[in-house]
Amino acid sequence: MNKFFTKKLSIISFFFIPIIFLWHPNWLGLLGVQPYWPLFWLLPWSMIHGSFNGLIVGLFLGLILDSLTLDHNFTQIPGLIFCGFLFGRIKFHKENLVGHFRYGLICSFGSFLCGTLYFLQILFRNFLDSNSLMFISGVKNILAEVFLTGFFAPFICSQLLRIFKFSRRKLHK
Amino acid sequence: MLSIRRISTSRWWHKKKNWILFAIFLFLVFVRISKGSFYKDFYYFISKPFWPGQFQKEIVLKSIEQEYLIKLNLLKKDNERLRRILSLKESSNGDHISAAVISRKAGSWWRQLILNKGSKDGVEIGNIVIGPGGLLGRVNSTSIFTSSVTLITSPESKLGVWVDRPQINGLLVGLGDDFPNLILYSKNTDIKVGDFISSSPASTLLPPNIPIGIVQSIDETLKSKKTAKISLLAKPHVIDWVQILKVNIK
Repeated sequence: MNKFFTKKLSIISFFFIPIIFLWHPNWLGLLGVQPYWPLFWLLPWSMIHGSFNGLIVGLFLGLILDSLTLDHNFTQIPGLIFCGFLFGRIKFHKENLVGHFRYGLICSFGSFLCGTLYFLQILFRNFLDSNSLMFISGVKNILAEVFLTGFFAPFICSQLLRIFKFSRRKLHK
Repeated sequence: MLSIRRISTSRWWHKKKNWILFAIFLFLVFVRISKGSFYKDFYYFISKPFWPGQFQKEIVLKSIEQEYLIKLNLLKKDNERLRRILSLKESSNGDHISAAVISRKAGSWWRQLILNKGSKDGVEIGNIVIGPGGLLGRVNSTSIFTSSVTLITSPESKLGVWVDRPQINGLLVGLGDDFPNLILYSKNTDIKVGDFISSSPASTLLPPNIPIGIVQSIDETLKSKKTAKISLLAKPHVIDWVQILKVNIK
Protein backbone atom coordinates (compact mmCIF):
# COMPACT_ATOMS: atom_id res chain seq x y z
CA MET A 1 0.00 0.00 0.00
CA ASN A 2 2.80 2.33 1.03
CA LYS A 3 4.68 1.48 -2.14
CA PHE A 4 1.65 2.23 -4.24
CA PHE A 5 1.34 5.68 -2.69
CA THR A 6 5.01 6.43 -3.24
CA LYS A 7 4.84 5.43 -6.89
CA LYS A 8 1.62 7.24 -7.68
CA LEU A 9 2.40 10.34 -5.65
CA SER A 10 2.24 12.67 -8.65
CA ILE A 11 -1.16 11.31 -9.72
CA ILE A 12 -2.55 11.47 -6.17
CA SER A 13 -1.35 15.05 -5.73
CA PHE A 14 -3.10 15.93 -9.03
CA PHE A 15 -6.47 15.33 -7.36
CA PHE A 16 -5.66 17.80 -4.58
CA ILE A 17 -5.26 20.73 -7.00
CA PRO A 18 -9.02 21.41 -7.32
CA ILE A 19 -9.37 21.29 -3.54
CA ILE A 20 -6.62 23.83 -3.03
CA PHE A 21 -8.14 25.89 -5.87
CA LEU A 22 -11.45 25.97 -3.94
CA TRP A 23 -9.80 26.54 -0.57
CA HIS A 24 -8.97 30.19 -1.33
CA PRO A 25 -7.82 31.40 2.11
CA ASN A 26 -8.10 35.19 2.48
CA TRP A 27 -4.91 35.53 4.51
CA LEU A 28 -2.83 34.13 1.64
CA GLY A 29 -4.14 36.55 -0.95
CA LEU A 30 -3.17 39.95 -2.28
CA LEU A 31 -6.02 42.33 -3.21
CA GLY A 32 -8.33 39.33 -2.75
CA VAL A 33 -6.42 37.40 -5.43
CA GLN A 34 -4.76 34.02 -4.88
CA PRO A 35 -1.72 32.46 -6.55
CA TYR A 36 -2.61 30.38 -9.60
CA TRP A 37 -2.30 27.00 -7.86
CA PRO A 38 -2.39 24.58 -10.83
CA LEU A 39 0.88 25.96 -12.22
CA PHE A 40 2.79 24.87 -9.11
CA TRP A 41 1.94 21.27 -9.95
CA LEU A 42 2.07 21.59 -13.73
CA LEU A 43 5.63 22.98 -13.87
CA PRO A 44 7.47 20.10 -12.12
CA TRP A 45 5.26 17.47 -13.73
CA SER A 46 5.81 18.79 -17.26
CA MET A 47 9.55 19.25 -16.66
CA ILE A 48 9.81 15.55 -15.81
CA HIS A 49 7.37 14.10 -18.34
CA GLY A 50 7.94 16.35 -21.35
CA SER A 51 5.93 18.69 -23.59
CA PHE A 52 3.33 16.31 -24.98
CA ASN A 53 2.38 14.91 -21.57
CA GLY A 54 2.39 18.42 -20.18
CA LEU A 55 -0.04 19.48 -22.90
CA ILE A 56 -2.40 16.59 -22.11
CA VAL A 57 -2.27 17.19 -18.36
CA GLY A 58 -2.83 20.91 -18.98
CA LEU A 59 -6.03 19.95 -20.82
CA PHE A 60 -7.15 17.68 -17.96
CA LEU A 61 -6.42 20.37 -15.38
CA GLY A 62 -8.34 22.92 -17.44
CA LEU A 63 -11.33 20.60 -17.70
CA ILE A 64 -11.44 20.01 -13.94
CA LEU A 65 -10.96 23.65 -12.98
CA ASP A 66 -13.53 24.82 -15.53
CA SER A 67 -16.04 22.48 -13.99
CA LEU A 68 -15.39 24.02 -10.58
CA THR A 69 -15.78 27.61 -11.72
CA LEU A 70 -19.16 28.79 -12.88
CA ASP A 71 -18.07 30.83 -15.88
CA HIS A 72 -19.64 28.99 -18.79
CA ASN A 73 -18.40 31.49 -21.37
CA PHE A 74 -14.74 31.55 -20.42
CA THR A 75 -12.24 28.72 -20.07
CA GLN A 76 -8.83 28.16 -18.49
CA ILE A 77 -7.96 25.34 -20.90
CA PRO A 78 -5.96 27.32 -23.52
CA GLY A 79 -3.67 28.88 -20.91
CA LEU A 80 -3.01 25.60 -19.12
CA ILE A 81 -2.40 23.65 -22.36
CA PHE A 82 0.07 26.27 -23.50
CA CYS A 83 1.80 26.32 -20.11
CA GLY A 84 1.94 22.49 -20.02
CA PHE A 85 3.60 22.42 -23.43
CA LEU A 86 6.00 25.25 -22.60
CA PHE A 87 7.03 23.87 -19.21
CA GLY A 88 7.82 20.51 -20.84
CA ARG A 89 10.55 22.15 -22.91
CA ILE A 90 12.39 23.54 -19.88
CA LYS A 91 15.57 21.76 -18.89
CA PHE A 92 16.77 21.19 -15.33
CA HIS A 93 19.35 23.61 -14.03
CA LYS A 94 22.48 22.26 -12.40
CA GLU A 95 22.79 25.02 -9.84
CA ASN A 96 20.14 24.55 -7.20
CA LEU A 97 19.78 28.15 -6.05
CA VAL A 98 19.34 29.51 -9.60
CA GLY A 99 16.85 26.70 -10.21
CA HIS A 100 14.66 27.81 -7.33
CA PHE A 101 14.42 31.37 -8.57
CA ARG A 102 13.95 30.17 -12.12
CA TYR A 103 10.76 28.36 -11.01
CA GLY A 104 9.45 31.67 -9.67
CA LEU A 105 10.08 33.44 -12.95
CA ILE A 106 8.66 30.63 -15.08
CA CYS A 107 5.49 30.35 -12.97
CA SER A 108 5.06 34.13 -13.05
CA PHE A 109 5.25 34.04 -16.83
CA GLY A 110 2.81 31.09 -16.96
CA SER A 111 0.38 32.90 -14.66
CA PHE A 112 0.65 36.03 -16.80
CA LEU A 113 -0.08 33.94 -19.90
CA CYS A 114 -3.11 32.19 -18.37
CA GLY A 115 -4.46 35.43 -16.88
CA THR A 116 -4.06 37.31 -20.13
CA LEU A 117 -5.75 34.58 -22.18
CA TYR A 118 -8.67 34.56 -19.72
CA PHE A 119 -8.87 38.35 -19.75
CA LEU A 120 -8.85 38.42 -23.56
CA GLN A 121 -11.81 36.03 -23.58
CA ILE A 122 -13.76 38.40 -21.30
CA LEU A 123 -12.84 41.39 -23.48
CA PHE A 124 -13.82 39.53 -26.65
CA ARG A 125 -17.13 38.41 -25.16
CA ASN A 126 -18.04 41.97 -24.22
CA PHE A 127 -16.58 43.54 -27.35
CA LEU A 128 -19.89 43.43 -29.20
CA ASP A 129 -21.73 45.17 -26.33
CA SER A 130 -19.01 47.85 -26.46
CA ASN A 131 -18.57 47.35 -22.72
CA SER A 132 -15.09 45.91 -23.02
CA LEU A 133 -13.30 49.04 -21.77
CA MET A 134 -15.01 48.73 -18.41
CA PHE A 135 -13.14 45.50 -17.76
CA ILE A 136 -9.70 47.14 -17.87
CA SER A 137 -9.71 47.40 -14.08
CA GLY A 138 -9.43 43.58 -14.05
CA VAL A 139 -5.76 43.90 -15.09
CA LYS A 140 -4.95 44.23 -11.39
CA ASN A 141 -6.15 40.63 -10.97
CA ILE A 142 -3.50 39.47 -13.45
CA LEU A 143 -0.74 41.51 -11.81
CA ALA A 144 -1.58 40.34 -8.28
CA GLU A 145 -1.76 36.73 -9.47
CA VAL A 146 1.57 36.99 -11.31
CA PHE A 147 3.28 38.39 -8.21
CA LEU A 148 1.86 35.80 -5.83
CA THR A 149 2.50 32.85 -8.15
CA GLY A 150 6.10 33.97 -8.66
CA PHE A 151 6.54 34.46 -4.92
CA PHE A 152 5.35 31.01 -3.87
CA ALA A 153 6.67 28.99 -6.81
CA PRO A 154 10.31 28.58 -5.63
CA PHE A 155 9.11 27.00 -2.35
CA ILE A 156 6.38 24.76 -3.71
CA CYS A 157 7.74 23.77 -7.14
CA SER A 158 11.16 22.68 -5.88
CA GLN A 159 9.55 20.50 -3.21
CA LEU A 160 7.10 18.96 -5.67
CA LEU A 161 9.89 18.37 -8.19
CA ARG A 162 11.89 16.53 -5.53
CA ILE A 163 8.85 14.38 -4.63
CA PHE A 164 8.01 13.60 -8.29
CA LYS A 165 11.63 12.67 -9.06
CA PHE A 166 11.72 10.39 -6.05
CA SER A 167 8.43 8.77 -7.01
CA ARG A 168 9.63 8.28 -10.63
CA ARG A 169 12.85 6.65 -9.46
CA LYS A 170 10.81 4.20 -7.40
CA LEU A 171 8.65 3.50 -10.41
CA HIS A 172 11.64 2.54 -12.59
CA LYS A 173 13.14 0.27 -9.92
CA MET B 1 -10.49 115.31 70.26
CA LEU B 2 -10.45 111.70 71.33
CA SER B 3 -14.19 111.23 70.79
CA ILE B 4 -13.95 112.49 67.17
CA ARG B 5 -11.24 109.98 66.36
CA ARG B 6 -13.38 107.17 67.69
CA ILE B 7 -16.25 108.08 65.35
CA SER B 8 -13.96 108.07 62.29
CA THR B 9 -12.75 104.50 62.98
CA SER B 10 -16.25 103.06 63.02
CA ARG B 11 -17.24 103.92 59.37
CA TRP B 12 -19.02 101.11 57.42
CA TRP B 13 -16.28 100.44 54.92
CA HIS B 14 -13.93 99.63 57.70
CA LYS B 15 -15.98 96.53 58.52
CA LYS B 16 -15.03 93.27 56.82
CA LYS B 17 -18.55 91.91 57.17
CA ASN B 18 -19.93 94.68 54.99
CA TRP B 19 -17.46 93.90 52.21
CA ILE B 20 -18.44 90.26 52.33
CA LEU B 21 -22.10 91.21 52.02
CA PHE B 22 -21.22 93.48 49.08
CA ALA B 23 -19.35 90.62 47.36
CA ILE B 24 -22.32 88.32 47.82
CA PHE B 25 -24.56 91.02 46.38
CA LEU B 26 -22.29 91.43 43.35
CA PHE B 27 -22.25 87.66 42.84
CA LEU B 28 -26.06 87.55 42.94
CA VAL B 29 -26.24 90.39 40.43
CA PHE B 30 -23.87 88.44 38.18
CA VAL B 31 -26.04 85.34 38.55
CA ARG B 32 -29.13 87.37 37.71
CA ILE B 33 -27.55 88.97 34.62
CA SER B 34 -26.10 85.66 33.37
CA LYS B 35 -29.54 84.06 33.86
CA GLY B 36 -28.18 81.41 36.15
CA SER B 37 -25.66 80.05 33.65
CA PHE B 38 -23.09 79.64 36.41
CA TYR B 39 -25.48 77.42 38.37
CA LYS B 40 -26.38 75.40 35.31
CA ASP B 41 -22.71 74.77 34.46
CA PHE B 42 -22.00 73.89 38.06
CA TYR B 43 -24.92 71.47 38.02
CA TYR B 44 -23.52 69.96 34.78
CA PHE B 45 -20.30 68.96 36.55
CA ILE B 46 -21.80 67.67 39.78
CA SER B 47 -24.55 65.68 38.04
CA LYS B 48 -22.16 64.12 35.48
CA PRO B 49 -21.60 60.85 37.39
CA PHE B 50 -25.36 60.32 37.62
CA TRP B 51 -26.25 60.81 33.92
CA PRO B 52 -28.20 58.02 32.11
CA GLY B 53 -25.46 55.50 31.39
CA GLN B 54 -24.67 52.71 28.96
CA PHE B 55 -27.37 50.50 30.43
CA GLN B 56 -30.13 52.99 29.65
CA LYS B 57 -28.67 53.52 26.16
CA GLU B 58 -28.96 49.79 25.48
CA ILE B 59 -32.59 49.78 26.59
CA VAL B 60 -33.39 52.75 24.36
CA LEU B 61 -31.58 51.21 21.35
CA LYS B 62 -33.41 47.93 21.87
CA SER B 63 -36.74 49.74 21.97
CA ILE B 64 -35.86 51.64 18.79
CA GLU B 65 -34.84 48.38 17.09
CA GLN B 66 -38.15 46.75 18.06
CA GLU B 67 -40.04 49.79 16.84
CA TYR B 68 -38.22 49.60 13.47
CA LEU B 69 -38.90 45.87 13.16
CA ILE B 70 -42.60 46.38 13.80
CA LYS B 71 -42.69 49.25 11.31
CA LEU B 72 -40.79 47.12 8.78
CA ASN B 73 -43.26 44.25 9.11
CA LEU B 74 -46.20 46.63 8.73
CA LEU B 75 -44.63 48.19 5.65
CA LYS B 76 -43.87 44.75 4.19
CA LYS B 77 -47.48 43.71 4.61
CA ASP B 78 -48.66 46.99 3.11
CA ASN B 79 -46.26 46.52 0.21
CA GLU B 80 -47.49 42.99 -0.46
CA ARG B 81 -51.13 44.09 -0.30
CA LEU B 82 -50.56 47.00 -2.69
CA ARG B 83 -48.55 44.82 -5.06
CA ARG B 84 -51.39 42.32 -5.10
CA ILE B 85 -53.91 45.09 -5.83
CA LEU B 86 -51.74 46.49 -8.65
CA SER B 87 -50.97 42.97 -9.95
CA LEU B 88 -47.21 43.63 -9.74
CA LYS B 89 -44.51 40.96 -9.48
CA GLU B 90 -43.93 39.43 -6.07
CA SER B 91 -41.64 36.86 -4.62
CA SER B 92 -42.72 33.95 -2.52
CA ASN B 93 -42.45 34.69 1.17
CA GLY B 94 -41.08 32.68 4.05
CA ASP B 95 -39.17 30.33 1.77
CA HIS B 96 -35.68 30.98 3.09
CA ILE B 97 -32.92 28.42 3.50
CA SER B 98 -29.99 29.34 5.73
CA ALA B 99 -26.63 28.09 4.49
CA ALA B 100 -22.98 28.38 5.47
CA VAL B 101 -20.25 29.40 3.02
CA ILE B 102 -17.83 26.46 2.67
CA SER B 103 -15.72 27.84 -0.18
CA ARG B 104 -15.27 31.42 -1.15
CA LYS B 105 -13.62 32.80 -4.27
CA ALA B 106 -14.35 36.49 -3.94
CA GLY B 107 -11.18 37.75 -5.63
CA SER B 108 -9.59 37.22 -9.05
CA TRP B 109 -11.72 36.33 -12.12
CA TRP B 110 -13.72 33.55 -10.53
CA ARG B 111 -16.15 35.06 -8.10
CA GLN B 112 -18.26 32.41 -6.51
CA LEU B 113 -19.40 30.93 -3.23
CA ILE B 114 -20.03 27.28 -2.46
CA LEU B 115 -22.76 26.74 0.13
CA ASN B 116 -23.42 23.73 2.34
CA LYS B 117 -27.01 23.28 1.13
CA GLY B 118 -27.79 21.49 -2.11
CA SER B 119 -30.60 19.89 -4.06
CA LYS B 120 -31.26 17.60 -1.08
CA ASP B 121 -32.33 20.69 0.90
CA GLY B 122 -34.48 22.03 -1.90
CA VAL B 123 -32.04 24.53 -3.42
CA GLU B 124 -32.67 25.06 -7.13
CA ILE B 125 -30.76 26.73 -9.93
CA GLY B 126 -31.79 30.37 -10.18
CA ASN B 127 -32.47 30.81 -6.45
CA ILE B 128 -31.37 34.15 -5.03
CA VAL B 129 -28.68 34.38 -2.36
CA ILE B 130 -28.71 37.27 0.08
CA GLY B 131 -26.47 38.09 3.01
CA PRO B 132 -26.37 40.80 5.65
CA GLY B 133 -26.68 43.98 3.56
CA GLY B 134 -28.46 42.64 0.52
CA LEU B 135 -28.02 40.67 -2.69
CA LEU B 136 -24.93 38.48 -3.15
CA GLY B 137 -25.71 36.47 -6.28
CA ARG B 138 -27.69 33.65 -7.87
CA VAL B 139 -27.39 29.89 -7.54
CA ASN B 140 -25.78 28.67 -10.74
CA SER B 141 -25.42 24.98 -10.11
CA THR B 142 -26.32 22.48 -7.42
CA SER B 143 -25.03 19.12 -6.30
CA ILE B 144 -26.70 16.86 -3.73
CA PHE B 145 -25.02 18.54 -0.76
CA THR B 146 -23.74 21.86 -2.15
CA SER B 147 -24.78 24.76 -4.31
CA SER B 148 -22.57 27.18 -6.22
CA VAL B 149 -23.40 30.86 -6.33
CA THR B 150 -22.24 33.28 -9.01
CA LEU B 151 -21.54 36.57 -7.24
CA ILE B 152 -22.80 39.80 -8.78
CA THR B 153 -19.15 40.90 -9.07
CA SER B 154 -18.38 38.01 -11.47
CA PRO B 155 -17.76 38.92 -15.14
CA GLU B 156 -20.56 36.47 -15.98
CA SER B 157 -23.18 38.37 -13.98
CA LYS B 158 -25.61 40.78 -15.66
CA LEU B 159 -28.70 41.92 -13.77
CA GLY B 160 -31.49 44.41 -14.21
CA VAL B 161 -31.51 46.92 -11.34
CA TRP B 162 -33.55 49.87 -10.17
CA VAL B 163 -32.07 53.25 -9.22
CA ASP B 164 -34.34 54.52 -6.50
CA ARG B 165 -34.05 58.34 -6.59
CA PRO B 166 -34.37 59.04 -10.33
CA GLN B 167 -36.71 56.00 -10.69
CA ILE B 168 -34.97 54.35 -13.65
CA ASN B 169 -33.87 50.88 -14.67
CA GLY B 170 -30.25 50.03 -15.41
CA LEU B 171 -28.00 47.05 -16.10
CA LEU B 172 -25.54 45.91 -13.41
CA VAL B 173 -22.48 44.21 -14.93
CA GLY B 174 -19.85 42.37 -12.89
CA LEU B 175 -16.29 43.24 -13.92
CA GLY B 176 -14.17 40.79 -11.97
CA ASP B 177 -13.35 43.37 -9.28
CA ASP B 178 -15.19 44.41 -6.11
CA PHE B 179 -17.19 47.17 -7.75
CA PRO B 180 -19.67 46.14 -10.45
CA ASN B 181 -20.64 48.72 -13.06
CA LEU B 182 -24.10 50.16 -13.54
CA ILE B 183 -24.92 50.98 -17.17
CA LEU B 184 -27.68 53.51 -17.86
CA TYR B 185 -28.62 53.68 -21.53
CA SER B 186 -29.41 57.38 -21.46
CA LYS B 187 -26.88 60.16 -21.29
CA ASN B 188 -29.31 62.58 -19.61
CA THR B 189 -30.09 60.42 -16.62
CA ASP B 190 -29.88 62.31 -13.35
CA ILE B 191 -27.81 59.96 -11.23
CA LYS B 192 -25.72 61.07 -8.27
CA VAL B 193 -23.09 59.60 -5.98
CA GLY B 194 -24.91 58.03 -3.03
CA ASP B 195 -27.98 56.90 -5.00
CA PHE B 196 -29.41 53.62 -3.78
CA ILE B 197 -29.60 50.58 -6.10
CA SER B 198 -32.03 47.70 -5.61
CA SER B 199 -33.28 44.83 -7.75
CA SER B 200 -35.57 45.98 -10.52
CA PRO B 201 -39.32 45.36 -10.46
CA ALA B 202 -38.97 44.64 -14.19
CA SER B 203 -36.31 41.94 -13.74
CA THR B 204 -37.24 38.39 -14.65
CA LEU B 205 -34.38 36.94 -12.59
CA LEU B 206 -34.80 38.65 -9.22
CA PRO B 207 -37.67 39.53 -6.94
CA PRO B 208 -38.10 43.31 -6.60
CA ASN B 209 -36.71 45.59 -3.86
CA ILE B 210 -33.69 43.58 -2.73
CA PRO B 211 -30.99 46.10 -1.67
CA ILE B 212 -27.84 45.85 -3.78
CA GLY B 213 -25.56 48.85 -3.35
CA ILE B 214 -24.81 52.54 -3.51
CA VAL B 215 -23.39 54.60 -6.40
CA GLN B 216 -19.75 55.29 -5.61
CA SER B 217 -18.55 57.20 -8.68
CA ILE B 218 -19.97 58.18 -12.05
CA ASP B 219 -18.24 57.99 -15.42
CA GLU B 220 -19.62 60.23 -18.16
CA THR B 221 -16.91 59.76 -20.77
CA LEU B 222 -18.98 57.48 -23.01
CA LYS B 223 -21.06 59.14 -25.69
CA SER B 224 -24.36 57.33 -25.55
CA LYS B 225 -24.57 56.05 -22.00
CA LYS B 226 -23.63 56.73 -18.41
CA THR B 227 -21.81 54.23 -16.23
CA ALA B 228 -21.34 54.21 -12.47
CA LYS B 229 -19.29 52.14 -10.06
CA ILE B 230 -21.39 50.53 -7.37
CA SER B 231 -20.26 49.82 -3.83
CA LEU B 232 -22.07 46.68 -2.68
CA LEU B 233 -23.93 46.61 0.62
CA ALA B 234 -23.32 42.89 1.21
CA LYS B 235 -19.61 42.07 1.42
CA PRO B 236 -18.93 38.57 0.04
CA HIS B 237 -15.36 38.57 1.43
CA VAL B 238 -16.52 38.36 5.02
CA ILE B 239 -19.98 36.82 5.03
CA ASP B 240 -20.06 33.29 6.45
CA TRP B 241 -23.82 32.69 6.58
CA VAL B 242 -26.29 33.46 3.81
CA GLN B 243 -29.96 33.04 3.03
CA ILE B 244 -31.15 31.29 -0.09
CA LEU B 245 -34.45 32.71 -1.35
CA LYS B 246 -36.64 30.40 -3.35
CA VAL B 247 -37.74 32.65 -6.18
CA ASN B 248 -41.24 32.44 -7.49
CA ILE B 249 -41.53 35.42 -9.81
CA LYS B 250 -45.03 35.73 -11.12
